[in-house]
Amino acid sequence: MGYDELRRYDYSLEEHQVALVKAFGDLFEKECPPAVVRASEGSGFAPDLWKRANHMGLTSMSIPASFGGDDSSLLDVALVAEHAGAVLAPVPLVSHVVACRALAWAGAPREVIDAALTGERIVTLALAPVTPAAKQLVPEAAIAGDVLAYEAGEFILHSGSPRKSVPNHAGSAVGWWSPSSSDHRLVLASGADADDLFRRACDEWKILMAASLVGLADRALSIGVEFSKTRKTMRVPIGSLQGVSFPLADGAIGVEGARNLVSRSAWMLENAPDDQPELPRIAFSYAREVAADVVATSVHVQGGLGVSLEADITMYFNRATAWPAPAGRISEDFAEIAAAFASRIR
Amino acid sequence: MDFSTITLSPAQEAFRDELREFLDSHLTEEVYARDRERKDNFDEDFYLALGSRGWLTPEWPKSEGGADLDEVCSVHLEQELERRRAPDYAAGTTRLVWIAVAQCGDPVLREELKPRVASGTARFCLGYTEPEGGSDIAAARTRAVRDGNDWIINGSKMFTTGAHYSQYVFLLVRTDSSLPKHRGLTMFLVPLNSDGVDIQPLHTLGDERTNITYYNDVRVSDRYRIGEVNNGWAVLHGPLDAEHSIGGDSMSVGATHMRPLYEALEATARWANENQASGGSTDDDPLFRSTLGRIIVHAEAGLATPGPMGRVKCTETAVSGARQLVDLVGPVAMLPFGTEGAVGDGEIEFAHRHAQATTIYGGSVEVFRSLIAESILKLPRPDFPGRKNL
Repeated sequence: MGYDELRRYDYSLEEHQVALVKAFGDLFEKECPPAVVRASEGSGFAPDLWKRANHMGLTSMSIPASFGGDDSSLLDVALVAEHAGAVLAPVPLVSHVVACRALAWAGAPREVIDAALTGERIVTLALAPVTPAAKQLVPEAAIAGDVLAYEAGEFILHSGSPRKSVPNHAGSAVGWWSPSSSDHRLVLASGADADDLFRRACDEWKILMAASLVGLADRALSIGVEFSKTRKTMRVPIGSLQGVSFPLADGAIGVEGARNLVSRSAWMLENAPDDQPELPRIAFSYAREVAADVVATSVHVQGGLGVSLEADITMYFNRATAWPAPAGRISEDFAEIAAAFASRIR
Repeated sequence: MDFSTITLSPAQEAFRDELREFLDSHLTEEVYARDRERKDNFDEDFYLALGSRGWLTPEWPKSEGGADLDEVCSVHLEQELERRRAPDYAAGTTRLVWIAVAQCGDPVLREELKPRVASGTARFCLGYTEPEGGSDIAAARTRAVRDGNDWIINGSKMFTTGAHYSQYVFLLVRTDSSLPKHRGLTMFLVPLNSDGVDIQPLHTLGDERTNITYYNDVRVSDRYRIGEVNNGWAVLHGPLDAEHSIGGDSMSVGATHMRPLYEALEATARWANENQASGGSTDDDPLFRSTLGRIIVHAEAGLATPGPMGRVKCTETAVSGARQLVDLVGPVAMLPFGTEGAVGDGEIEFAHRHAQATTIYGGSVEVFRSLIAESILKLPRPDFPGRKNL
């Protein structure tokens, strides 16, 4: 927390980031209208959109140049993820980008990385440490043949066929996965290296998911705001009533704070990771709460129409809580955050 | 984006050392004890000592009574004064009012006051809110009537914090009640030693003594008028926007208000650690950690939320966070400063009381939510009968 630190708080975008946001923002807005999201609800995947995004360098942008990437920052990807989240893009951006970065740092075989960088070979991450007997719900496992997992002090690349897709709240490509699902098993790191790689990958997943949730919440808020401007009661727009406008204002407050926390946590993870190592969890837990609050507000503002499945807001509602769920309980992140805070005070 | 720590230059380090030495020698235990008794967050000797270094107007040139400090040193100065709870309340309101005086005040008055603002002998307080008006300050009914080259003022103002140690009150008065609400207002800088001014104390939950001030046929020369007659709302907007941090930087405008919560969070973490060492529970208890962590997250979010939005987030987090800490720590959290067994010497008890007023003063959170709804979300304005007219 920044009370007595002399630190810069400069949230302004750099020139290349403005261009990046514009390019990917345009792509997602144009190629991913709500109809695309609805059409993808069975598979959780829009292959054409994924292809286009990768033509524009979505996966390769944040990979080190030595592995054929464009060497840009996690923050850059987070800015793009926000725009993907705003339109609920059914693409494995978060898990795949995080997994590819981990593959590069772990020194995975070049052919794996090469195929992954184009987006053709989709890689994902099991967010909970693996226990041999138990299966877990892994994001994107229904479209990814490769799963990075942490098991008994080893960081392992499991390869095989994508799992069967599981009907779920978010209509996403989550799948049941366990190490026994894989055909090939490649140990990428062990001991402290494996711990570091897994922890870092989880932190990055949380940051990019938080960014997606910021975009999701921001758009969900706009939907509610626009509705409240035109819907009338007793001849006034409901948005002029404080009982409606104040919860929407709270949504705007939440989105702004969450967006700044995401940016700062992404920047800090790459530039000063030890200064406040709990920042990814802070950004993630706050973004989860904000997104859940905002979608509920926006559903409610639209009254009965807000709960009808024809309303786009219901798609936002389902994803706000289901997308981040594989990363574990918010309360566990809170506990880790308090532990890190306390460790600096004693 | 850039969130790097700022490395001090040798000159900046020298300033930091000078400041530390100054504060160590001036903020004595007696100063704090006196402040705890008076509860008005002001110590004149300390204030004048700040002024003698140019630190009341740190960025002004030395030739004008300032200290020529760069931005880094100014921020550090502000942080240190806040961290140590220095009794310098008048500095903030004086700075706000000076914005308007410098822009719209009579040039002779301006030249007369400028060195005194810097040295600390001219202190300003805010006379906006009225007993009937609350956060709707444009509803002011305190009146000024022209009498030759003077004005005669009658009325009363609430929460004129610092009036009893200020020399002037920046007074919002109605000069034409036939005009629409926001158009008939004029600003004055009224000398508080004028005949007919009466200052009555009002003590608060958060140990922030404030006042009710009464104005009974107070005669004020026209030279104390700030800005044009009936243009007071525009004149007021400079200081008001600065107070609301509109168009300001990315730091949360509510950060200061949440500071006691942060101190209470630290005290709680420290207490939990000690408690555990002495065989108690808590620090390793996941329930304790989780609850504490949630407060930390919302406090971090408050600091990360810019401008007026941060004002709402910080103050409401201060309220809810303090209450949760009271529950988390248990009955010892309710023990005040100086009591045996008080956690962090009463930090939680203080934060709990202090937080309540922060959602009100400087404009209630409802004012800010309305502002966010209208200016940021572009929601239609509610139409209240008293919005444009008295």
